[in-house]
Amino acid sequence: MPRWIVYALVILAVASLLPFAFIARARGAKADRTRLRPIQNMGTQQKYLPQSENPLFADSRAMRPAVEGAVRRGTVIDDGAFARGRAADGQFVAEFPVAVNRALLLRGQERYNIYCSPCHGLTGAGDGLVSRRADALQEGTWVPPLTFHGDQVRGRPVGHIFNTITHGIRNMPAYGSQIDPDERWAIVAYVRALQRSQSATVTDVPPDLRAGLR
Amino acid sequence: MPTNNSETSRRFVFPKWSNLLRPALAVLMIGGPLYLTALAWYGGSPKTLDIGYAPVQPVPYSHALHAGKLGLDCRYCHSSVESAAFAAVPPTQTCMNCHAKVRANSEKLALVRESYATGMPIPWVKVHDLPDYVYFNHSAHVRRGVGCVECHGRVDRMEVVSQVETLSMAWCLDCHRNPTPRLRPPEFVTQMDWTPGEDPAALGQRLRQERNINPSTDCYTCHR
Repeated sequence: MPRWIVYALVILAVASLLPFAFIARARGAKADRTRLRPIQNMGTQQKYLPQSENPLFADSRAMRPAVEGAVRRGTVIDDGAFARGRAADGQFVAEFPVAVNRALLLRGQERYNIYCSPCHGLTGAGDGLVSRRADALQEGTWVPPLTFHGDQVRGRPVGHIFNTITHGIRNMPAYGSQIDPDERWAIVAYVRALQRSQSATVTDVPPDLRAGLR
Repeated sequence: MPTNNSETSRRFVFPKWSNLLRPALAVLMIGGPLYLTALAWYGGSPKTLDIGYAPVQPVPYSHALHAGKLGLDCRYCHSSVESAAFAAVPPTQTCMNCHAKVRANSEKLALVRESYATGMPIPWVKVHDLPDYVYFNHSAHVRRGVGCVECHGRVDRMEVVSQVETLSMAWCLDCHRNPTPRLRPPEFVTQMDWTPGEDPAALGQRLRQERNINPSTDCYTCHR
């Protein structure tokens, strides 16, 4: 056999492994380019999915923002204590307009830990990680949140806390659009629970559990 | 060149090694398709094409900082995940909840401020993009205790989010056929570093019975 054929075969054999080497490298690497879709199978269809683009509109949102005044399905249409935290005379309510039970508190704990704890901290002392970082940056724009356990917040009626969650205060943005009223009440209930827990005395502990305290 | 003009020397004779061409052709006819199949299988696999997709985002948002270091719950921003099929990318308002005050003049956040001022959306790039004929429902999974980390990986350690699982049909079916090792109590769904205190399979089995979790593998579960 002529030498050149042998060489060509060897080169061909080695070259045939190259695609595999490139693929193996691509497998381990990250890529910021659009993915290859060799077989489309109607994977991209002419329809609008949530948060997809529609070039017909100037802001290219396929999901149109609600027209002002539109009422979302499931919205509580109520201007009483439940939706506003205020009584008919405009004063903040001091009583919960919902039944406070274990389920509400657990719900409140979960929601509090999601939406509130970043700044207010898990115990409500105002030492959340976001607040601490904002403080550490020393930009001069950050007002640390009040602790829930001082007289100022402890003395507030529940309607006031509800109102603060809804509309915000100082640094704190309004969470009314992010958290539904029933969840806001659950959070208020949990804030009350936190306040009690942080100023608890040994008499608050059920007698049979006191032995477990150190 | 030989100088004698005999018949034999002028006739072309295949060299002896050319006898190898016939077995070589057979090898080519069998090996060629095999080679191409292997190449398509390996190169076209979702493991090659889908894992590792990490598009450049319009704003250099770091999940490692926000979800990792600052410990924000996934649901602070992706608030629709428990109630809707779609885990919505948050509106610019959510960014501004903090960034109206924190890093309010940062160069990196210029686009966020612009979006907030003009109302134009930030063109975030979707990383985990299922084909349009798949109807995946986030709330159905999250509320039954399939942790975010099972499909999205350790997002709390990602500066730039990349896809870590294939999200292929075979991968979906793996879990739909045997969900037990991937179940956790629903209160821990967003906790990236959660570990079961016991055998995950045993815990999953218990959760599955308690909550009556029987994922369907019928076509119409995902394709409608």
